[in-house]
Formats: sequence, structure tokens, C-alpha cells
Amino acid sequence: MIKETMTPTERTWAAIKLEPCDRVPVAPLMDVMFPSRHKGMTVAEGIAHPRRGFQAIVDTFDDVGGWDAMIIPGYSLPVPPDIAAVMQVVIGDTRYPGKEPGFSDDSSPQFIEKELLTVDDYDEIIKLGWTGFAEKNLGRFFPLDPELLLAWTKRQMDRYKSEGELWKARNIPSLCGALVMSPLMFLSTRRSLVPFTQDLYRMPDKVQAVMDAMVDDCIKFAIEAARTTGIPGVELILERGGCFYYPLKIFERFEFRYIKKMVDAFAAEGFITVMHLDQDWTLNLPYFLDLPKKMCVCELDSTTDIFKAKEILKDHLCIMGDVPAALNSIGTPAEMTAYCEKLIDHIGKGKTGFILSTGCTIPVDTKFENFQAMVDSVKNHLPSN
Amino acid sequence: MSELANAIADLKEEEVKKIVQDKLASGADPLSIVDECRQGMEIVGQRYKDKEYFLGELIMSGEIFKEAMAAIEPKLKTGQSGKPLAKMVLGTAKGDIHNIGKDIVATLLKAAGFEIYDMGIDVAPEVFVDKVRETGAPILGISGLLTPSFESMKQTVQALEAAGLRNKVKVIIGGGVVTEVVRKYVGADAFTDDAPEGVELCKKLAGVAS
Repeated sequence: MIKETMTPTERTWAAIKLEPCDRVPVAPLMDVMFPSRHKGMTVAEGIAHPRRGFQAIVDTFDDVGGWDAMIIPGYSLPVPPDIAAVMQVVIGDTRYPGKEPGFSDDSSPQFIEKELLTVDDYDEIIKLGWTGFAEKNLGRFFPLDPELLLAWTKRQMDRYKSEGELWKARNIPSLCGALVMSPLMFLSTRRSLVPFTQDLYRMPDKVQAVMDAMVDDCIKFAIEAARTTGIPGVELILERGGCFYYPLKIFERFEFRYIKKMVDAFAAEGFITVMHLDQDWTLNLPYFLDLPKKMCVCELDSTTDIFKAKEILKDHLCIMGDVPAALNSIGTPAEMTAYCEKLIDHIGKGKTGFILSTGCTIPVDTKFENFQAMVDSVKNHLPSN
Repeated sequence: MSELANAIADLKEEEVKKIVQDKLASGADPLSIVDECRQGMEIVGQRYKDKEYFLGELIMSGEIFKEAMAAIEPKLKTGQSGKPLAKMVLGTAKGDIHNIGKDIVATLLKAAGFEIYDMGIDVAPEVFVDKVRETGAPILGISGLLTPSFESMKQTVQALEAAGLRNKVKVIIGGGVVTEVVRKYVGADAFTDDAPEGVELCKKLAGVAS
């Protein structure tokens, strides 16, 4: 066991700010699903009972001997009390365990991607802006009284804050007080991948106009959430704009210019941005040198070349990741230890700028002994140089 | 390369529509038009390998190909659709309802000449087995985006063994979370997280790779 000379908060922030750490910090992207199973509940129970679900996360933390940071506090969503903000965070068709035929109580929720927004909606968003569009079309997506929705946001926000405070009392920092998608990510998942891709090629000017009409609201809601929760960071959810999907000319025009605008705005508020980079972004990495130094974390999921990321970004941004999902679900503790030690040696080189994490969210069917090996790896192994 | 093949390769959607309509109107052999479309898709595949094209271009070319085929198919005489490269059963594993990756691969496989039996999403092992038995397809493709799909993929391979079909069908798994470790765990013959690579692997598994 390595002798620790820093608190989890000091260690995590030192890594983000590219300052020396006593050891590599570890911060899994934790939600309620794996902890619910681990503590003997079904996933449906963990989701349906916020206090029990959150307690399962805390108990899992204790069972594994603790980790260094929460990327988000764990259960609730930081949604400001604004209909347009609600529409940006939760518009979609999600199937929940125990509530759908054929969906067991112990399965993961799954998002069904379909054409929720139409090409005609593009014209209306351009004309009315996102807030105007959302207010006009609320009933189409949520057949609920707006007052009920706003009451829901208050409950979510209150719980999010109290979850963050609980971690803070344990000296465990929460990194993100807001969640937001880039305009491309939002439109791609709400138009669905194939129609959105056709839009990009058939009507690029219109798509760009929609993004221009949306981005300021994306920034506004995220800043409002981070201010309200008191957690000085934003989780920027990205997947669809990277080089797995599109060439760099599309990335530059429809994704990076908005990422930069958002990250700059958050940095101006003193907030870091944790860029949740699902899928392969290897060719896009050099662009991130244009983002404000030490104000972002690149959260990789094992499909981006993390070694290339270190080579390119080592003096500029912190890297987080990238334990493959399969290693947690069907790997062995020995395989997990070997993988993590390799990351600690190479990405944790210089004892800074790296936070060991799961590649995307920890899988629902994680084997506890594998997760234990992941958390223990940073406590037992220092970078070789 | 023909004008039509180049138009598909360059993603010129309107030009492809016009050329196909003109060729059909002038009485050209529909099968030869299909061949030209497939040649265009082969160029797209090569550009993807060369990293000139990405998934977005594959999606666009696949949709253009589908539109062209929708115009050509009514002109094909019964039984004149050409001999498929091979039959293949395809679906998303039980417990997983993601369809986008599977659908993209299905489009590319059809464009390459495979006859696809798409079983949809959340497909139980016994449903896969029944379809493999019924069609005699030499390839089964199982897609999954979530880690719990590994277990149902494995159960499907075991069900093929129990039905005495395992030595008659090659199994390929695909999706963002599959790796060589997952392939071994499942007992599959191949894996991929890349759609065009999946098409090439299916050709090899079917013994029709050029």
C-alpha cells in the first residue's frame, strides 16, 4: 500500500491542474445500477427509491475501501427549474426495468433512439430559439402539467445538492454540478443517427443555424445548474461528433466550434469541463489544445487511443479513463490489475494529469472483485517514472 | 468505373436517382444497374479503409444504395434478384434493444450481396437457432451494445451446439463493447466494432472473400 500524503480532494484537483500527486486518483463513473445489484436490490428498486439507490452507492464506496472523486454525485439530475432546460436533458424515449414487457427488474434502462425531432422542427427552432420552441412544444414530448415538471426539477436539484454535500463531508469531491450535451450530440440522438447524418449532408446550413440557435441556451442552463449545485464543473456529453462518425471538416464546423464556445464560457465562470468522449476521438485530440489549459478533463472509454491522448495533451489537459466495460463484467482481477498498472505507468507518468476511471459508466453486471482490483491498483502501484 | 458507381462513391444522391431512372427508362438490364451500384459501394468501402471516409459517409452511401434498390427492385423479374453471396441471420441479443449499429451493418451487408434475415432486437437464443435451421444460413451475426448482451450471445452459441448446428454456422458478434476477450467468452468465431470490417469478416466466414 502506497503511503498517502494528500486527501482525495487535493489529489483529484492536483491531477486536473497538472500538479504533482502522491498517487494516481481513481474516480469511476458511478450510477445506481451496479451498486443496487451489489447491495442485493434489483436495478428497478434502486431507480425507484432515490434514498436506497443513493445509499447503495455510498455502501459500495465503503465496501471497496473508497475512491477519490465522484464525477457526478450519483443518483439525481441537475436540472434547473426551466421547461426548456428539462426538454434538453430528458427529452427522449427511455425504457425502464420492470416497466416494459420483457424488461426484467434487473436490466439496465435503455434509450430508444428515434426521430423525436423532425426537419420541420429545425425551422421552428431557428425562428423561435430553443426556449421558444421548447415552451411551444412541451405537450408534444411531456403530456404533463408544467408545474409538475418544475416541481420535479426542484426535487432533483435539492437531492443533487445534498448528495454532493454528503460526499464533501467525506472529503470526496464531486466534479460536475451540471450535465449538458453539445448541440450535435443532442440533435443526433433526438433526430436519430441516420436521419441526422442525412441532414448534415443534405442541409448543412440549416443544421448549423439550428445549432447556433441552441448553443447559448445549452450554456445558460449548464451554468445555472453548476451555480445552483455549487459544484464547479460541467459534464459535457459527447459521442457523435468524433472521428468514429465523421471527417474532421464536419467535426470542425458542427462540433468543435460549439465545444470551444461552451468550454470557454464555463471556464469564464471558473468551472472545469469534463468531456465525456464516448467512441473514438483519436484524430480529434489535437484540437483540444485550443481549449483552456488545465480547465478540462478528457474522459475516454477505451476506444480512443489513450496513449496518443497522453502524448498530445500531457502538458495541457487531464486525461481520465479508460477501463473497458468488458474487463469489469467478464474479466478477472488479475487482468484488471495488469490493465490498470499499464495505464498508471504510461498515462500517470509524471504523477499527474491522469485519473483512473471506468470507460463510460460502470457496467451493471460488474463483478465486485474486478472493481475492487481496479480501485486497489492505484493504492498499490505508483507510476514507474 | 461507371458514372453511376462514381456518383454513389461521391455520395451524389440526386445524381444517383437520375442516372438510375434514366437507365431504367431506357430499358437497361436491372441486374447490371445493381452491379454498378455495388461497385460504387466497394469504392466507398475502400475510401473508408483509406480513412478518407468515416461512418457518416457509410451511412449516406447505404441510404443512397437503398433508395436506388427501391427504384430497381420493381423492375427485376421474379427470381431475377441475382444469386446472393451468402445467407446470413442477424439480430440484437436478448435483453438489448439497440438497433442502429445492426441496421447500418445490415444495409452494408445487403449492398455487398448478402441475403439478410434481420430478426430485429431483443432476440432470444431459440429464435436465432430456429432461423438458422430454417434458412440454412452459414453465418449468424449478433449485435449488442450493453455488457449483459454477452451472456445472451453465449447462450445462443450454446443453443446452437445443443441443436447440433454449431459446426454448420459461423458466429460473428459486433458492437461498441465487444473485444477479443468477449469473443472468447461467448465462443464466437469472430468479432468486430467496425461495420465495413464486419462485412469483410462475413465474406471470409462465408468463404466468398475475393
